[in-house]
Amino acid sequence: MTDSRVATSAPPVQEIRSGWGASRRRAKAARDEEFTAFVMSAGTRLRRTAYLMCRDWHLAEDLTQQAFAKMYAAWNRIRTGANLEAYSRRVLMNVVFDQQRRRSGSELVLADLPDHPDRAPAGTPELRVALVDALAQLAVKDRAVLVLRHAEDHSVETVATILGLSVPAVKMRNARALTRLRTLLGDDFPDR
Amino acid sequence: MEQHLRDQFDRAVGDDPGAPLDEMATAAIAAGTRLRERRHYWVPAGVAAGVLVVVGAVAGLTLPLDASKSDEPPVTVAAAMVPMTAPACLKRPVETDVTDAVVFLTPEVTDVQRAALDTALSQDPGLAARSYESREDAFRRFQIRWKDNPDLVKAVTPYELPESFRLRLRAAEQFTALRDRYASMGGVQEIIGRKCAAGAPIGGVL
Repeated sequence: MTDSRVATSAPPVQEIRSGWGASRRRAKAARDEEFTAFVMSAGTRLRRTAYLMCRDWHLAEDLTQQAFAKMYAAWNRIRTGANLEAYSRRVLMNVVFDQQRRRSGSELVLADLPDHPDRAPAGTPELRVALVDALAQLAVKDRAVLVLRHAEDHSVETVATILGLSVPAVKMRNARALTRLRTLLGDDFPDR
Repeated sequence: MEQHLRDQFDRAVGDDPGAPLDEMATAAIAAGTRLRERRHYWVPAGVAAGVLVVVGAVAGLTLPLDASKSDEPPVTVAAAMVPMTAPACLKRPVETDVTDAVVFLTPEVTDVQRAALDTALSQDPGLAARSYESREDAFRRFQIRWKDNPDLVKAVTPYELPESFRLRLRAAEQFTALRDRYASMGGVQEIIGRKCAAGAPIGGVL
């Protein structure tokens, strides 16, 4: 098929085998830079969300990093997506859910609320600890709804998209979780 | 109440010990690269074929939010760029019993290199047939194949799709020798063998 384009000139001048590799390396460098910028801008907020979900800063860091790794693996596909924020929450929540499933059972032992005598009090320390501990007693999806809705301030619709739930399901879980939180926290519940 | 609750949540993370985000990014890149390689190890070899993959890619690109919950490997642009294996051929590239082969050329291949390859292939007694697909041909084919996925088509330029020679071998046992002969020639990126039934297009790819 190419016979027409065959030139009868000298043998190959030079091998340029590295060309493809070099352009790939350039693409990777650009991708890594863009991805790192995303981690720098989104990392802290995502890690705090993870902490509210798991009550442990080290685990939160680990979960966040797992979520970022998954995002990096799909970066070419998701980087131009309009809703990278929501997407990152979804990936994180799925990592959290997986982690909870793996250690399921152990989470129910939280009926005894641990003391945190060594934590430096700031503001209302009891309440601060109480809120996170109370959250830990909710079903993990209910906790996710509360965290996304009230800590992250996403709309009901966005929360529904992130969690793959319907809007009525999010509203129902939100109402149920708030009621439960009210019961757990008693007078501390900040509804006034 | 909402604002009040929000403040409580803010205070709840008030003892954040902090974490080095640059290190987190570096670690995520390393781990993410491993994830990619595990997902894609079979793809660069040219097996990105089949309806399942097409469906996956369409769903993956138009609804990126759905990708995170499925364990199926998402189709990347790189995977979509690989020519599709013909239905009459084994999906996986093979090393033995090779009936057809594709010689992918590097993006920087020169006219002289291409001509030298073409001459050599045309005179190769081990080949029953050969054809050539230019970058532009490859791009047209790519556009048609992914026409329902404009994001994917937009993400790729003709320059990024490799041109290739497609070959039919006279005898299966000649593949290794053939690859040895041509792999070291200038402008050759990769040579991939396939096992195809009679009636497959030359090279075993669409």
